[in-house]
Amino acid sequence: MLYKKYIKMHIKSSLEYKTNMFLLSFAQILVFVAEVLGIWLLFQRFDTVAGWTFYDSLLLVGIVMTTFAVTETFARGYDEFPNLIKTGTLDRLLVRPVSIHYQLFGAKIEFSKLGRIILGIILSVIAIININVEWNMLKILVLISAYVCGCVVIFSLMLVAAGISVYTIENLEFINIITNGSKELAYYPLNIYNKWLTRIFTFIIPVACFNYLPLSFLLGTGSIPMWLCAISPLLGMLFLIPCLIFFNCSLRRYQGTGT
Amino acid sequence: MTKIIEFKNICKEFKIPEKRTGKWSTFLNFFKRKYKIINALKNVNFSIDEGDIVGYIGPNGAGKSTTIKIMSGILTPTTGECIIDGYTPWKNRKEYVKNIGVVFGQRSQLWWDVPVIDSFELLKDIYKIKDDEYKDTLKLLNEALDLEQLLPRPLRQLSLGQKMKCELAASLLHRPKILFLDEPTIGLDAVTKLAVRDFIKYINKVWHTTIILTTHDMNDIEALTNKIILIGKGQILYNGSFDTIKNKYANEKIIQVEFAKPYEKILLNGYELISHDKNVAVFKTKKDTEFHTKAFINEISKEYDIIDFSVNSLSVDEILARLYKEYELQEK
Repeated sequence: MLYKKYIKMHIKSSLEYKTNMFLLSFAQILVFVAEVLGIWLLFQRFDTVAGWTFYDSLLLVGIVMTTFAVTETFARGYDEFPNLIKTGTLDRLLVRPVSIHYQLFGAKIEFSKLGRIILGIILSVIAIININVEWNMLKILVLISAYVCGCVVIFSLMLVAAGISVYTIENLEFINIITNGSKELAYYPLNIYNKWLTRIFTFIIPVACFNYLPLSFLLGTGSIPMWLCAISPLLGMLFLIPCLIFFNCSLRRYQGTGT
Repeated sequence: MTKIIEFKNICKEFKIPEKRTGKWSTFLNFFKRKYKIINALKNVNFSIDEGDIVGYIGPNGAGKSTTIKIMSGILTPTTGECIIDGYTPWKNRKEYVKNIGVVFGQRSQLWWDVPVIDSFELLKDIYKIKDDEYKDTLKLLNEALDLEQLLPRPLRQLSLGQKMKCELAASLLHRPKILFLDEPTIGLDAVTKLAVRDFIKYINKVWHTTIILTTHDMNDIEALTNKIILIGKGQILYNGSFDTIKNKYANEKIIQVEFAKPYEKILLNGYELISHDKNVAVFKTKKDTEFHTKAFINEISKEYDIIDFSVNSLSVDEILARLYKEYELQEK
């Protein structure tokens, strides 16, 4: 399969720079330790934050970290889209008889983020073991769909960022504010934020659909109807549709202007 | 001869954002941009026969890259029609690009850190080339370009010329019907340049590949192409055989004369003096006059004592420079 070959190529390329790979992975671990430490310190002062215990929040962090790491590893090509335009690599991709999305997924795989995926999964497992939830089939399904939804929403944000870069060429910082901002914000239960922020990150950028809402369902807390919480990850995935349309329109515009 | 490429009334406009200058410029640019419209191609018409090698030439900024990008399906023209091998390039992109190979002179399609052969294997999968076909093609390319030593090495270790050889091979692995070459000989040394030219001719002969190349190296044109298309300011200025253009300027001769002793001032009836240094002078024939050796000797030996002289036609570069100049004048 073509994708397997892409992976093989990326592994070979990465192995050419072993030290670089090692240092990058090490830096990733440091960042991770700092993030978890921050949350742990917070719970040293307060037993619960907005009704959430340390392990509840840890699951939140686990979901966000895993899904961000997965998308950043495998959809790196979209992250690098402005560079692909600048260097003319996009032109190259356009003269190949393979869909542009397939090629973008193959264009870059960031192995240094693999460590973060593993750490995210470890955190999730620790949280799931210690969390006070009576598991049943539905709850397991909701949790899994939360992970999938997380990947889809973050990927959608990357699509929007890539699409905008067609118009601006430069990678605009405010895009990073949206993606990284959502990430930082998603580390804590959404009900600690003010109403408008909560609404933006529920209805415009559906971050709540892969952390706060499904977790409310697992814990049986919050004021939102349980059935809505349960299907929220599925609703959040719909975010992909407008983002994909936007990206494809931008690409068509690129073909019109050829910057 | 069947026509493989047809361009009909192709126009391409670009909207270029105009930058404001001044105190609040960055701020204002962010909210409202002014646009300037640039006509990169104005009503371009031409057709290319199957199996031709065509030189696509013109000064910088004439619209060459835009045309190549339209032909390879990367850009959509503003208006007009283009049929290549039965396809419209920017529609059914995936189907169409199976038939073409593209080499952009200054950017690579190969992986920087991975042995070249691995990049080839990836292309094999991308183009879904059958095993035995791939083997045959690789063998042929290998023999023609002498790639044996290069294939196991990563691209970053190769010289510019070696890279270009690998690029050419990579773009031909799927045996395209049409090959677009954007400045294939740029920056290459003399030996590699000749090798690349021979290879292009060879491919054209064995596979009957139609080749369109842009270049600024006029020797490429002379050595390779049987037809040129000259573009300037977005318009086709000339489309036809290169020999016709050469013949047009065949009458103009450059005559270099060596005198027995230095002369202070040199004047010669019917000839234009271009340069004069001590006992060497260079003349040019005046427009619309034919050069006769006997008449020239008679004329010059009346007053001057000459030892030697040589007669040259305009070089290919000079002819082209002349052409560019002529057409620019026409536009005014």
